[in-house]
Amino acid sequence: MILSPARWRRPRTDWLRSIATALVALIAWEALARALAGTYLIAGPLEIASYLSDHAGLILRATGWTALAAAGGYVIGNLTAIALAAVAILIPGAARLISSLALIVFCLPLVATGPILRVLWGPGLGPQVTLAALAVYFTTFLPLQVGLRAAPPNWFDLVRSYGRGGWTALVEVRAMAALPYLIAGLQIAAPAAFLGALVGEFTGAERGMGVLTIRAMRSLDVAGTWSLATIAAAVSMLAHAGIGWLWRRLDDAPPPLILASLPDARTDRRWATRLNLILVVLVVIALWWLSMEFAGLNRFFAKRPDDIWAFLVTASGAADHRTTLFAALGQTLSLALPGYALGLALGLGLAIALLMLPALARAIMPLAVALRAIPIVITAPLVVVAMGRGATGTITITAVMTFFPTFIACYQGLKRTPAALIDLFESYAATRWERLTLVQFPAMLPAFFSAARMAVPAAILATTTAEWLATGHGIGGLMALTASTSDYGMLWSSVVLLALVAVAAYAAIERIERAVLRRYGAEQLVR
Amino acid sequence: MKRNALTRRGFLATGAGGVLATSLGLHPALAAGTVNLQLSWLHSVQFGGSYIAKSKGYWSDQGLDVSLTPGGPNAPVEPPVVSGTALVGISAADYTAAAVAQGAPFKIIAVAMQKNPFAIASLPANPVREPKDLEGKKIGMALANTPVLKALCTLNDVNFDAIEVVPTQYDAAPLVAGQVDCLLCWATDLPVAMTMKGLDPVTMLMADFGYAVQSQTYIATEDSLANSRKELVELLRGEIRGWADYHKDTDAAAELTVKMFPDAGLDLETQKLQAKRQVPLMFSDVTDEHGFGWFTDESIAENIKTLALLDKPVTADLWDRSILEEIHAG
Repeated sequence: MILSPARWRRPRTDWLRSIATALVALIAWEALARALAGTYLIAGPLEIASYLSDHAGLILRATGWTALAAAGGYVIGNLTAIALAAVAILIPGAARLISSLALIVFCLPLVATGPILRVLWGPGLGPQVTLAALAVYFTTFLPLQVGLRAAPPNWFDLVRSYGRGGWTALVEVRAMAALPYLIAGLQIAAPAAFLGALVGEFTGAERGMGVLTIRAMRSLDVAGTWSLATIAAAVSMLAHAGIGWLWRRLDDAPPPLILASLPDARTDRRWATRLNLILVVLVVIALWWLSMEFAGLNRFFAKRPDDIWAFLVTASGAADHRTTLFAALGQTLSLALPGYALGLALGLGLAIALLMLPALARAIMPLAVALRAIPIVITAPLVVVAMGRGATGTITITAVMTFFPTFIACYQGLKRTPAALIDLFESYAATRWERLTLVQFPAMLPAFFSAARMAVPAAILATTTAEWLATGHGIGGLMALTASTSDYGMLWSSVVLLALVAVAAYAAIERIERAVLRRYGAEQLVR
Repeated sequence: MKRNALTRRGFLATGAGGVLATSLGLHPALAAGTVNLQLSWLHSVQFGGSYIAKSKGYWSDQGLDVSLTPGGPNAPVEPPVVSGTALVGISAADYTAAAVAQGAPFKIIAVAMQKNPFAIASLPANPVREPKDLEGKKIGMALANTPVLKALCTLNDVNFDAIEVVPTQYDAAPLVAGQVDCLLCWATDLPVAMTMKGLDPVTMLMADFGYAVQSQTYIATEDSLANSRKELVELLRGEIRGWADYHKDTDAAAELTVKMFPDAGLDLETQKLQAKRQVPLMFSDVTDEHGFGWFTDESIAENIKTLALLDKPVTADLWDRSILEEIHAG
């Protein structure tokens, strides 16, 4: 079997099936809404349609403002990601430093950054755009880093034999090889940018969907809340589908080899790793300090590294502060870890299931995107109703947030198995199962691990957001408290601790990744 | 002037994203001579008096240009005031006390809500009419508000451990859906929403049971009190005139609010009801005698007592009546 553009063409029956699935889903939704009428929890499609027609102008304007901020953030965030990835490739020594910084910045919680951004930007779209950019750059940067290395070694030999250097290799070889990965990143980024812009409006915006969402939720306006969620999901799905379409237009031929992994995979030199770690810590502290000093931010809310040191180590109440903080962290991790694991398992499982049943894929894919796109503020109470207020609710929310990027990455990874290998298996009349376990699964591993790494900050953010909005427990609850108590020492200590946890978890997964790939895909560990 | 310098340094700090966003013109610069009044929440009739002052020119008459900046769930009032990006912020005595304990140089210079708006909302079938009724009930609230409930219990000899606290979002749905028996909320929002939906909630105002914490307080830094007195006086003078108009005709205030903020998703009837409901919290014999915003020494003493129960010990130094006195003298 030869992979050809024809593979992307959809037969008519698939369209019919998609429409049928959508209809069934709509009817089930309406039935559920009617069953729960009077509880002010769910609005059905009919109620939403009538709300939207009654408030068309208002919703349209709000969507426009939020989409504008999201688009700005999307462009800025993705350009930043591309620039960072290019620098990391051209200056190999800087790759580790850039990755670490990118991860740490991505882990900054909204509770800490929101007020600072509003003070820096003043009124207007500034904070929304910035938060949208912050929400997307990391999930583009990671796959790009993989993609820029995803070219056969002989291509690089060719570049070298012509006497050209790293820049030519970047432009002529790497950029082309990275394109599918870039687009995968751009696809994940689309709903994320919209969510980032929407949540950015919580920092005190004049208008937009976030503003309307808060209003609707507080006035028992279930139709309004669900209409807004529907629009948010629809916009995200459209963006997702649009980029997917672009991909199909560009991606006629399958790449000769998928592959991937880390910049400096052969680190047996322990001292180099340690030196790198020290460098990262120093640069982070310097950047933190200098940026706050430069911006002239008041120490009352913009705590510097020495304030945190005093708060946690030298101040009189430091021991109490540490006790509070670590107790909260323990609570958070006890929910984040199972949620993360569950999300990874579901993402991987669904990707495999959909590969085996391609017809189902087209029905489920939009649902998966929608799930990710509906703001967590709206889903949280529903999840709580369904799962209870205990640990299950928070774990579910974390799993949902982890699930989406994992699913997308694994699904694309599975589909990008080298065609020659598939042909070989076909010619030996291998079963679908053999093909999956012996070829496609190993070929997907780099994508899976890249998703697993990407999901670390997502899981932490999801858990702390659920704690902030729904349960009030854990480090998310602790950070939310600072809004009423002005305890910014505790807020920034939480930020530092969460960043440390994220970096440690990320490094641990890298280790597992290397061990696994050394066994199952040694050829994917080069460069 | 200060704003512009701050912004320039600001985008250096926010990096490439900031540079690009600024060059795209997404950051509207404020004109010189503008002062910011940082509101504590999204635009609504909660700040109706300020909108009247703005639209009727009670500030521009005095040569002052006031910009009203909305708040939100992730927009604490204290940072912009401490940074000087807002001259005055709308806070509450307990928030201000906490900020001062953390080193912020704030003073309360006027009080919009003499009575705290915190209330326990319940449904008539299973009502909470007095604090004693709370025992044995499930209450939905943010865990962050636990000290508030504890203070109410202490003030009224109620056994706190007999109440089951259920952490919820700020939303009336858990009460309506029967997940909880009552909610800790503001008397002017969730109960208003429930009334508009045809429910008939029972509202027990905590201020009627000894919970004395001034709310919607105007805060300014010591630096502003020393160096920007003229603007502070003009700002509050406009507020007082605006809120006096509000008191006379709350429906007009609601109409103005809805008209001024067409994108805020406000419902006129809800706004009218909310505007009426907040009158008894803001106006009393004290304000009839001294004008809107005034606070007495007795009120300060009561607040000090309740704030101590909230583990936020303060002295009378937290308050500064000199701006109000200057307005009344002139």
